[in-house]
Amino acid sequence: MRYAFSKLAKNDYAKYPFLKAAIKYVQIPDLRIQDLADSNRENILKRAQQRLEEAIFDNIVSRDLHHEDIEIISFPVAVMLAMATKNSFIQKRYALAEANQTYEDLRKESEEKTLEVAKNFGWELASNKESRMPYRFALNLVDYLRNTTHLREKPWKLVNRMLSNGNVYLGIDEVARLLKEEVRRHIEKRLELKELPAFPPKITEIAEKIRKLSEDTIGKTEMEGFPKAIVQVAFPPCIKALYESFSSGRHLSHVGRFTLTSFLINIGMPPETVVEFFKSFSDYNERMTRYQVEHIAGEKGSRTRYIPPKCDTLKTHGVCTNPDELCQRMRHPLSYYRIKVKAT
Amino acid sequence: MDSLTYVQNTFRDYYANNFSLQSALQMIEKREFGFASFDGWMLRHRSFKTKNELTMFLQDFAPHDAYFSCAYYEEPEAEMERKGWLGADLVFDIDADHIPTQCSKIHDEWTCGNCAFSGKGITPEKCPKCGNERFDTRTWPCEVCLDSAKTETVKLLDFLMRDFGFSDKEIRVFFSGHRGYHIHVENEAARSLNSMARKEIVDYVTGLGLDITYFGLSDRKILQGPSTKDQGWRGRIARSAYDFVRNANEDDYKNAGLQTNVELLIRNKKALLKSLDGVGTWSTVKGVAFGTWKRLVEHSIGSISAKVDTAVTTDVHRLIRLADTLHGKTGLKKVEFALSAVSTFDPFKSAIAFKAGTAKVIVSDAPKFRLDNEIFGPYKCKKIELPTAAALLLVCKGRAKVVE
Repeated sequence: MRYAFSKLAKNDYAKYPFLKAAIKYVQIPDLRIQDLADSNRENILKRAQQRLEEAIFDNIVSRDLHHEDIEIISFPVAVMLAMATKNSFIQKRYALAEANQTYEDLRKESEEKTLEVAKNFGWELASNKESRMPYRFALNLVDYLRNTTHLREKPWKLVNRMLSNGNVYLGIDEVARLLKEEVRRHIEKRLELKELPAFPPKITEIAEKIRKLSEDTIGKTEMEGFPKAIVQVAFPPCIKALYESFSSGRHLSHVGRFTLTSFLINIGMPPETVVEFFKSFSDYNERMTRYQVEHIAGEKGSRTRYIPPKCDTLKTHGVCTNPDELCQRMRHPLSYYRIKVKAT
Repeated sequence: MDSLTYVQNTFRDYYANNFSLQSALQMIEKREFGFASFDGWMLRHRSFKTKNELTMFLQDFAPHDAYFSCAYYEEPEAEMERKGWLGADLVFDIDADHIPTQCSKIHDEWTCGNCAFSGKGITPEKCPKCGNERFDTRTWPCEVCLDSAKTETVKLLDFLMRDFGFSDKEIRVFFSGHRGYHIHVENEAARSLNSMARKEIVDYVTGLGLDITYFGLSDRKILQGPSTKDQGWRGRIARSAYDFVRNANEDDYKNAGLQTNVELLIRNKKALLKSLDGVGTWSTVKGVAFGTWKRLVEHSIGSISAKVDTAVTTDVHRLIRLADTLHGKTGLKKVEFALSAVSTFDPFKSAIAFKAGTAKVIVSDAPKFRLDNEIFGPYKCKKIELPTAAALLLVCKGRAKVVE
């Protein structure tokens, strides 16, 4: 009776198959990749494939709670299939689609079980005991921040929340939404495995099928990302201002310089051209500039390519200027650019 | 002896004879240390196993400025990318530079680095004449400035304790040794917060991005405005507005941008206070429309938010001045003081590092100032013998030269 005290039943694990304890509920916990090709395991593989297809078609992965075992075990198999596609677009889409379903489920979940799911991710979430505040949950500030800093909508901004004594007060819908983010990130992380195992031909075959399906449904360009040519008229107002300010020989703040450099690199300007570009700076120092540009481009140092700060951060540091209509709908200068390029 | 040598000798004397690290340093072996020398170079990526080792280094090196990282690293001596960031204290810098005060108009000057256009008060973002953004500035750590910085500190501390729930044992306050205060939060959970999360915290305490529609005031329909008894920003807005309404005269209302219906507001003072106190909804005050409430709330937000330097808090690798060391711009010490002593703390007494000796200086110009119980100045082209601390302050601030 190892699980006698758990507040979640097997049926709940079929609903939330990413929970740590889920796999312990399945009769075949030490399934190996090679076994998946067996004909008597076919339904597992089939369901896993279906999970990915649902992600591509519907952006949400359904739940079949009548077949708990298959439902639970097909999840890690689907994760593996997504890895085998070696396509980050499909992987991200799958993680999001599973998270989308979780959101739907959690909105209707009992308080007790919601707390259990949160606990699985190490959240300090509790039922609200302060009767004066009209919220069902109180979430630890640090957990809240970790899960909301990338959300752009105003109501998520900490300053617009009820924060008291280190707790952020939330309703059930909001908790579901934040747990969704946690689930998405959790799955994305599982997909990040650096060294892929050797997949049996059957798996590779299905992965290839999924890739093809994704290309047909979603389109190749969407899956690839940025256009190659640089379109200056598509620069957002902040970048335009930095660009103009700099080309008339004015001094840029550190944040301003970083924003401009990382923006240019991310829209495809070669680092060498960026260095040339910076030569008209009054305090130009070729060695230093080259170092900084190559650093931001990820050719030096930590090897990570930096992206420009998002709009909120640019606002904080006073870089955001004259936001236009499109800006209202954007949260990042790069998204602005991407959309504007398409339109022009 | 030239002035720089004088400062260097005086600093040497301090580190050799009077220096000790009073302030606690958590996990010293995981911190990066940096030192500015008197020759103008910077020594970075140093680490020390113990306080004793660090003390000995400082006694010997006697730096112009000494810093340590708010961050903890696996290998503090490695180059930046290989240090292995383990976390960082949550740090706030409140500097008079960012707070508009009456006095700064008199003692602060800026000169455009491009066209030499100059003015007094807070340095503008762009030169009004040529648009250049680089300036040479001349500031002064005056009492009014430091008082205003202290007011901001008190506001910040209230946020940190009541809203963020940090305990008084986790919060440490320091006088920076120049024009402001540093507040360090040493909390294990907060240590892991990334730059974005810290930005949210900065925006919270400064009130940036606050949207009153989430506080019961939306679309010209007043539903349930905040009450003084509420927690978080709701309560802060109501309490700040309450204090304002209670004490405001005609001019105060005008300055707050509420010139159109001053009379009405003053006449309805009682009803306004009742609304803010949570008795009844806000809309019930006759003649006071949404626009007026909105303006009142915005004014309240401005006066209750804490003006902190955004760049410092969001930088998770920041080097911060080391407590008990001398500030190269003043010769004063960065000193820690008890949270409970905020209101009585006197920076111009506690931060004095030199209690004996004198020096002869020629002061170009300096406003009136106080150190401990002694008042000095104002001076203008004056040759004078001053106590070491006063002479050092003037020399460090570039207002005086040493004679002989």
